[in-house]
Amino acid sequence: MSAARVLKNGGRAAALPVALIVLAQVAATVTQLESDSLASPADIAMAFVSVMGDGTLLKATADTLKAAAAGCLLGVGAGSLLGIVLGLFRIADDALDLTIELLRPVPVVALIPVVMMLLGFGAEMEIVIIALGMLWPSVVLARAAVKEVEPRLMEVSNVLQLGFAARVWKIVLPAILPQLFMSLKLAAGYALVVAVTVEITANPLGLGYGIMMAQQALRPAEMFAYLIWIGAVGWLISVLLNAAQRTFFPAFVNGEGR
Amino acid sequence: MKAVPLRKLVLGIGGLAAFILLWKLVTDAKLVSPVFFPGPERTYVALVKGLSGGPLLSQTFETVKRMLLGWLLASFVGILFGALVGVSKRARAFIAPTLELLRPLPASAMIPVAIAFLGFSDNMVLVVIAFGALWPMLLATVHGFAAMEPRLYEVSEVLGLNRAQVIWKLALPSAMPMILASLRLGLTISLILAVVGEMLASREGLGQSILAASRSFRSADLFAGIVILGAIGLFGSRLLSVAERHLLRWQASSR
Amino acid sequence: MVVTQLSTRPRHGGGHSAPRSGEPRIRIRDVTLAYGPLQIIGGISLDIASGETISVIGPSGCGKTTLLRMLAGLARPTSGGVELDGSVLGGPNRSVAIVFQDYGKALLPWRTAAGNVSLALEARGCPAKERPAIVRDLLEKIGLGQHAAKYPREMSGGMQQRLQIARCLAQEPKVLLMDEPFGALDAMTRQALQDEVLGLVATTGATMVFVTHDLEEAIYLGDRIVCLQPNPGRVGRIVDVSLARPRDQLLTREDPEFLRLRRELYDLIKDDHQ
Repeated sequence: MSAARVLKNGGRAAALPVALIVLAQVAATVTQLESDSLASPADIAMAFVSVMGDGTLLKATADTLKAAAAGCLLGVGAGSLLGIVLGLFRIADDALDLTIELLRPVPVVALIPVVMMLLGFGAEMEIVIIALGMLWPSVVLARAAVKEVEPRLMEVSNVLQLGFAARVWKIVLPAILPQLFMSLKLAAGYALVVAVTVEITANPLGLGYGIMMAQQALRPAEMFAYLIWIGAVGWLISVLLNAAQRTFFPAFVNGEGR
Repeated sequence: MKAVPLRKLVLGIGGLAAFILLWKLVTDAKLVSPVFFPGPERTYVALVKGLSGGPLLSQTFETVKRMLLGWLLASFVGILFGALVGVSKRARAFIAPTLELLRPLPASAMIPVAIAFLGFSDNMVLVVIAFGALWPMLLATVHGFAAMEPRLYEVSEVLGLNRAQVIWKLALPSAMPMILASLRLGLTISLILAVVGEMLASREGLGQSILAASRSFRSADLFAGIVILGAIGLFGSRLLSVAERHLLRWQASSR
Repeated sequence: MVVTQLSTRPRHGGGHSAPRSGEPRIRIRDVTLAYGPLQIIGGISLDIASGETISVIGPSGCGKTTLLRMLAGLARPTSGGVELDGSVLGGPNRSVAIVFQDYGKALLPWRTAAGNVSLALEARGCPAKERPAIVRDLLEKIGLGQHAAKYPREMSGGMQQRLQIARCLAQEPKVLLMDEPFGALDAMTRQALQDEVLGLVATTGATMVFVTHDLEEAIYLGDRIVCLQPNPGRVGRIVDVSLARPRDQLLTREDPEFLRLRRELYDLIKDDHQ
């Protein structure tokens, strides 16, 4: 793509958000906005600078991201492991399929009261809920990936008489690595969502709690600053993971997304 | 529906029985205090009692109503707006990037904003559900329209189809697999946000019910509520599967 | 009843040479096509008589498909123009039908065979009540009568291409454009479809422009063969085919004239490759 073209596309992409921000600022200035629920873009920017300056925003971001990362790794790790086992052993798959199908549709937020009761508030409870939320999707993806490993490769490992460990380590894992990364990528975005949800609903911690408190204290500028920041963090994570996927598994990206 | 092989059925039921037995053993051995973690029998009793005469039935009804209303609202707005944006290359160039930018925003982060405008009300919960479920449908429709086979556009030109016919007869059916997948995802999101909304805003429903149960350490009631929530999710996704199989019967039968 | 407008015109006899008296059906007037500095087609002129069958051959990159897309109104010439019955073709026109090579992409996978044919009728506002009979008629004519309820994925490549042809016929076209339509089919299916297309063209009196890379197919079908040359695409030679009609897969292909033409075209194409 030529530079002019990039510029043109970028300009078109930016037109709408810029127009909205300008419009909001003009409307706020003209109406001399004083509100418990709305704030002008300029006030939001100022509130952002202030929460960023005193470190609360960064602390909250770190708390949320730590919980999301830990829960994500735990859930995807355990889920993928179970998924690989189910993919390799049909008998285990047949035996557990019905149970998993029954457990999977339970919305993860329904587990908040349970885990809260068992563990109280804090990072630990949040991590457990996130991990539980990542578990089933990871199981399903890993299981499907193992089942789709080229049968020829399995035949090769039979002919070579590889042991179970060698088969998993040398054939199955490398073959499903792109799908495992894909699974991790999907989970990372979802983990942030669950983390914020848990914090808004119950846990006095992190970005979700921050935005909730800003609302309760009737500081709309701060609330929107948090909202935009949460959106930016989510967006950044997805951009980074997409870039990583393109770098490490270029062949796998084709046909996905736009 | 295909018949499930006997072996799979037997193993599946065996597996489920083993799971329940394990659950019973863990609780009977008091590995976790029964105050927090009820066994299968106590959960079952609480479930039956709650559904027959207890409050569970009306709470279930409330939650399902909320979920469906928000989902329908999101589907309607998402598919309509998605079609409008998706059908025009120009609209896509201007609007799609902003939609992509907003997509990773956790829907629950909108809850405080919704509270600021609507207070702790049923409408607030509904708006949050609809907003959260909107994104997947909107983007799936936009992408589905954009991904239509270019050859089919040429076919439509040669045949002289008008714009409405192109949308209705070509673009929408070709986007249908993506739209249906997003409807399923949207339903999952709707249930989650219905529960979260009820917990936060203390509106009647299963979300509020299980939170109250956990606060007063009525763990059996809590688990009964979770079982129903799982059943709602299961039932919803099965229903959509049936619809999908019917609407997409023209596709190569996958799985 | 679909073909009323077409069936009136009797098929002309042998393949006698170029523009007959009167208005040509298609007049290609010095068309060029360029993408920026890249010249794809550099000045092609050709008159095609009503009811004539033209085969277009040439090495890859000579612009045969591009020429066909311009005749369909799907591509605009940079200069020059295409006229249909004396008026300039500004874009796609229902009386010009095109059969694409990639039938898998050109058919609607979510519609049955009958539904795919019906699309052309819906496009030209044919009342819903009349459609089923016309569709049945067309599917019968093209040998898909038994397969009306099948989806494209349930059909073989040959059947899918038949289906695309049936949809084109539902347009009641005056001109039938074919872009290497049988290139992806096996030899037997290909020959069967060649004969069917010849039969359809004969009964409807449609004008056909047939792009192919198969020399024998070009001779077997055509009244004239247009050989394009590449860089930029232009007419190298026009060869008249004086083989008798109706043609026959065995007899026509054994005719000394057929063999002579094949040699002539082969030498021509070979020269282009050097």
